[in-house]
Amino acid sequence: MTLHEQASVIAIRNASKSYIMADDAFFALRRVNLQINRNEYVAITGPSGSGKSTLMNILGCLDNPSEGEYWLDGQNVASQSETELADIRNHGVGFIFQSFNLLPRASVLQNVIQPLIYRIMPNNERKNLALDALKRVSLSDKIKSLPNQLSGGQRQRVAIARALVTNPAIILGDEPTGNLDSKTTQDIMNLFDELHAQGHTIILVTHEADIAQHCHRVIRLVDGQIESDTNNHRDAHHD
Amino acid sequence: MTKLWHAFFEGSKAAMQAITAHGMRSALTTLGIIIGVGAVITVVAIMESLSANITDQLDDLGSDMVTLRAYTNPEQKMLGFSNKISYYDFLLLKGKAKYVSDMTPTMRAFSLGSSVQFGRNNTQTQIIGTDSSYQAVIHVYPELGRFLSESDDLRRRRVAFIGASVAKKLNMPDDPTGEFINLSGDWFRVIGLAEERGSLFGFDQDNYIIAPFSTVRSLNGSRATNNIDIMFRPKTGASLETIKENMRQILRQKHKLSENDPDHFEFVTAEKTKKQFASITTSVTLVASGVVGISLLVGGIGIMNIMLVSVTERTKEIGIAKALGATPQFILFQFLIEALLLSLFGGIIGLLLGYGLASLVAIFMPGTSGVMVPMWAIGLSFGFTTAIGVIFGLAPAVKAAKLNPVDALRYE
Repeated sequence: MTLHEQASVIAIRNASKSYIMADDAFFALRRVNLQINRNEYVAITGPSGSGKSTLMNILGCLDNPSEGEYWLDGQNVASQSETELADIRNHGVGFIFQSFNLLPRASVLQNVIQPLIYRIMPNNERKNLALDALKRVSLSDKIKSLPNQLSGGQRQRVAIARALVTNPAIILGDEPTGNLDSKTTQDIMNLFDELHAQGHTIILVTHEADIAQHCHRVIRLVDGQIESDTNNHRDAHHD
Repeated sequence: MTKLWHAFFEGSKAAMQAITAHGMRSALTTLGIIIGVGAVITVVAIMESLSANITDQLDDLGSDMVTLRAYTNPEQKMLGFSNKISYYDFLLLKGKAKYVSDMTPTMRAFSLGSSVQFGRNNTQTQIIGTDSSYQAVIHVYPELGRFLSESDDLRRRRVAFIGASVAKKLNMPDDPTGEFINLSGDWFRVIGLAEERGSLFGFDQDNYIIAPFSTVRSLNGSRATNNIDIMFRPKTGASLETIKENMRQILRQKHKLSENDPDHFEFVTAEKTKKQFASITTSVTLVASGVVGISLLVGGIGIMNIMLVSVTERTKEIGIAKALGATPQFILFQFLIEALLLSLFGGIIGLLLGYGLASLVAIFMPGTSGVMVPMWAIGLSFGFTTAIGVIFGLAPAVKAAKLNPVDALRYE
């Protein structure tokens, strides 16, 4: 590991992902190299089929690359077992999904507590962490509500609180505003801006150009390869 | 270890939530187990209380009482023989047999038939000819009046000691002593009424008339030396085998049996009756267990079926849990515990149901006194339901644990 890689929270080296279809191997990702530093605000974009979902799955440790290396927060993630990956997801990644993916029968508070259930800690500590996270997304008054009693924007805030509660190395959003109207989209993007200002590393996978432009760095994938990697913010880090 | 305990504890909580979230479905799922366990507990409890009751009654009769009676083996029967124990055999044994405390001869009154009449009332009963020694062997006591005396036998008195049912069936006065009953044309004076004994195996133990041995013998006429049964009790501490061997030798000598001849007689003990009954109980229990085993198996398959549906239905939920950091072991535990809890709940409800049902049956069934559910049946039921929960819960739980998080998240 070079000194440079240590500074980065994400380092991907020559990562490929292939699926065997019939007799041919189909490459969803081809020899991708990518580094993301702490407190970056990155959009991963591209047309459908470009491999951005595959990249997101690898970044989120939901999937292993077929080849190559993936370092998350100084830890080699590629070729880890299912159990170890689960642990890395729990500590390293905060997921935010397009369809929120909240548990419908669980209250807002229970939903935010859920990732902490997989850690050994006392219940009241879990609750305190969850209450803190809900405060940060301004939902302290809705802790007992069920997800279906909330608006889309509020649901996505719950999901963001759930991603924040574990204090992960990266916050990974998969089309986080895809199901929201433009007004709510703006609110959620403002929330991401706030979290970025607080020092969080944020990676958003999106196909919407205006969301991508909102981020400080835009990585565009085409056919499983990085086509462009542009910086559109004067304060952003640049490698 | 802490991790395992953590997965177990949190998995149990998640499982409980899942069960209560689908109350109706959970209840229906456990129905198979409830019925299976309920059935086994009912059957076992009823058999157990029946057999305890019967053992008690046999003990009352005297578990150490032995009956010596004639035995003709099938081969001899085919040749037209019919072996007999005679009154002389009795007299010989009474004089010679060792280690015997009390011995009494009993004879069925053939000539008197089994019909008895009092006034206009008629009933069927068993008429036994015996002497005063009978009381010491059989432990039958008068409620009113007295038992046969030695002089009754010596003087061939036409007196009768009657069982409680006989008095009832003949609609005799509360105190029947001194009344006359008619046994096939011969009048007998009632001298005593026996204490009630209840019923055994559903047979009325109080439907009998005891008359002096010599009276019955004389009325039997030419068949006076005909077949009798001999009842006796061994002396306390004496080995029954020794007594039997001693009697065998005496009788074989008397009957002039050669070495290869089979015995003309057999010994019947209450112990034997108990064993026969125990073997009936055991086979009924075994058959019931087989049926119940099958129903528990079906119940287990029901649980597996619902758990598989549940895993499919909750695929997205499992995907979310995995994305948030649930390990495969955690998911495995959660679903395994859910199946186990469903099975165990079924077991507990089945146990209560079975106990209730057995108590209900006990009310309507004579010959049972209170319901007992033996510990082994409870242990077995729980062992079985636990095993079923684990065995049939394993496949769905493994399926859930193995779900690929990417696919599971995409599942709609």
